[in-house]
Amino acid sequence: MYLLEHDAKELLAARDIPLPAGMLAAADTPLPALPPGPWVVKAQVTAGGRGKAGGIRKAATIEAVRAAISDIARLHIRGRPVHECRIEQQITGAHEAYLGLMLDPAAAGVRVLLAPRGGMEIEAMAAEPGLLHTAVCDPDQSVLAASAVELARDLAPPLRGALTAAGSALAAAFFAYECSLLEINPLFVMRDGSWLAGDAKMITDDNALPRQQAVANLLERRARAYPEAHLKLHYGCDYVVVDPEGEIGLLTTGAGLSMMLIDELRGAGLRPYNFLDVRTGGLRGDPARLIHVLNWIAQGPRVKVILVNVFAGITDLGEFSRLLLAAFQAVPQLRVPVVARLIGNAIEVARTVLGDAGIDVVTELGAAVTRVRSHLAAKSGA
Amino acid sequence: MMHLRVDRATPVLVQGITGRAGRQHSRLMRQYGTRIVAGVSPITEMRDVDGVPVFAACGDAVAATGATASVLFVGAMQLLAAIREAVEAGIKLIITPTEGMPVHDALSALRLTRAAGVTWVGASTPGMAVPGAAKLGFLPDSALMPGPVGIASKSGTLSYEAGYRLAQQGIGQSVWVGVGGDPVKGTRFADLVSFYAADAPTRSVLIIGEIGGSEEEEFAQALIALRFPKPVFALIAGRSSPEGVTMGHAGALVHGRHGSYDAKKEALEAAGAKVFGTLDEMVAGIRAWHARLQGVTISKPAWAADTADDPPT
Repeated sequence: MYLLEHDAKELLAARDIPLPAGMLAAADTPLPALPPGPWVVKAQVTAGGRGKAGGIRKAATIEAVRAAISDIARLHIRGRPVHECRIEQQITGAHEAYLGLMLDPAAAGVRVLLAPRGGMEIEAMAAEPGLLHTAVCDPDQSVLAASAVELARDLAPPLRGALTAAGSALAAAFFAYECSLLEINPLFVMRDGSWLAGDAKMITDDNALPRQQAVANLLERRARAYPEAHLKLHYGCDYVVVDPEGEIGLLTTGAGLSMMLIDELRGAGLRPYNFLDVRTGGLRGDPARLIHVLNWIAQGPRVKVILVNVFAGITDLGEFSRLLLAAFQAVPQLRVPVVARLIGNAIEVARTVLGDAGIDVVTELGAAVTRVRSHLAAKSGA
Repeated sequence: MMHLRVDRATPVLVQGITGRAGRQHSRLMRQYGTRIVAGVSPITEMRDVDGVPVFAACGDAVAATGATASVLFVGAMQLLAAIREAVEAGIKLIITPTEGMPVHDALSALRLTRAAGVTWVGASTPGMAVPGAAKLGFLPDSALMPGPVGIASKSGTLSYEAGYRLAQQGIGQSVWVGVGGDPVKGTRFADLVSFYAADAPTRSVLIIGEIGGSEEEEFAQALIALRFPKPVFALIAGRSSPEGVTMGHAGALVHGRHGSYDAKKEALEAAGAKVFGTLDEMVAGIRAWHARLQGVTISKPAWAADTADDPPT
């Protein structure tokens, strides 16, 4: 789960990582009590390039803070709407450096990246010869901390001390939260050698949630900010609205095939509403998950047709079809045609069960898309 | 070296054989022809499952049966310990279909399997197969067919779709490896390059990737470094996925340019691979290659002869 800056900073603060004082604010709620100004108002989205997109603004007065929040809340940054801002005390007179820790799957270790200058995107830093100091370490807190000491060795004293201290503190947080990435950019270094995490990019592991109580609590408390991770935890499936104006609701299993189907539909000029990996293997004879999914799809204001795509290695399609019908009956507000593309065991049973309910079953994806297209054409013609 | 050329004689262990999934998939693997010689379950009183003897520990099972490969149907939080047990018992090929393995555990498992010279495929994999000989995991029989294409895939379902469509055209697979969708995994695309280069029945390679991580880019570099001598085809899912959201697979997360479709496509093309935009294009492209392989030319493009099971209305 790619955490919003504010949430990453809350987790870091709990581990005594020094931070500028800050709080979360939304456009439609009263402004919380702020630390002394001036401030920086920062859009909370899980995407880079916030500054360039106008998502980071300085503000010297409370009025300016309010204006900045209201402007920023109207932004879409890399396609994502901004719901919240972090209002943070402006830090002045600091030097900006960079420190990043990330899993390196190919090297079977953890990569430490360190630079005496920060505040720009990592790609730009990597392009500048000699700027980025990096090493791959064994996945061990003390090895990472020692590596930061080594990488900072030739830097000037205030920087060296700050980055060494930061390396040690962040390595501890990296393992404590089972991160795959923890990046502080900029890392503010003060004249006295103290440091503060100016920004924080943190990716935690959803699979580790059963033993990561602090992250799991955060996810519960902030469910609205992480709808996908929250859904997965509670409903056992992956669901993402990819186009709020989409016309095709997808009831699909398998992440890769669902992604590819979305790519192909879009490539053909069609508008899928959602991504879904429903995991038919995990339904266990209960339509509850399918009912949840259909209720979510029913919220798509322009959804005109449902495309079911299940390539089942092992799922019994007869049973799946009965569950699917039960789910449709439980979501009567979803009154749209359904095209089902099914391959696997007991396909003939599925054909009978769904056919009796007036649902087309095809075995080839191309034919299914053709059907979807004709349903859409019929709707727009009507 | 990769221990992937399994055959009908390879003795296979199933850890977690007494559980629901372990039992079901053991039966299906045996139906396919896989030689399952033993099961392991530390918590059961069962002496056998459908005639397969059950042992309390991997070491005992290996000592009694000589198993060299193991398929693990074990819970995500117990997976690291089970992998360690298999490695310590001397297993050389470990397949872990389990979804949801914590990534820091996967890193530990990767380090210990590498150090021991063990081939680990997974986690979060449908498994692997040498079609016509054996399957370890649950790749669907309807898509498996012996043939010349080595398939390596991050996604189970997308590879089923691709394998099935190619099989419909009479084009089968040499060795099919589901590397899985996790970011840290036992076998990465790049690890397979020298294996496929040396594997005589493999005449071309199809990799089925997706956004996120840098595996496709590493694979491309490995192709160049090895001057890979066979045609390489690629399909990459997720080009229209939003940034910053995990798309089902834990590894399928784009942040910045890192993990993006464009970065992967460019790297693969620079290494001489053919990257297809759609499944239909993939089938047509591989069909054309296959026809040349057989010394036959086809007069019309494959997609024009494509079979929809009913005509457009």
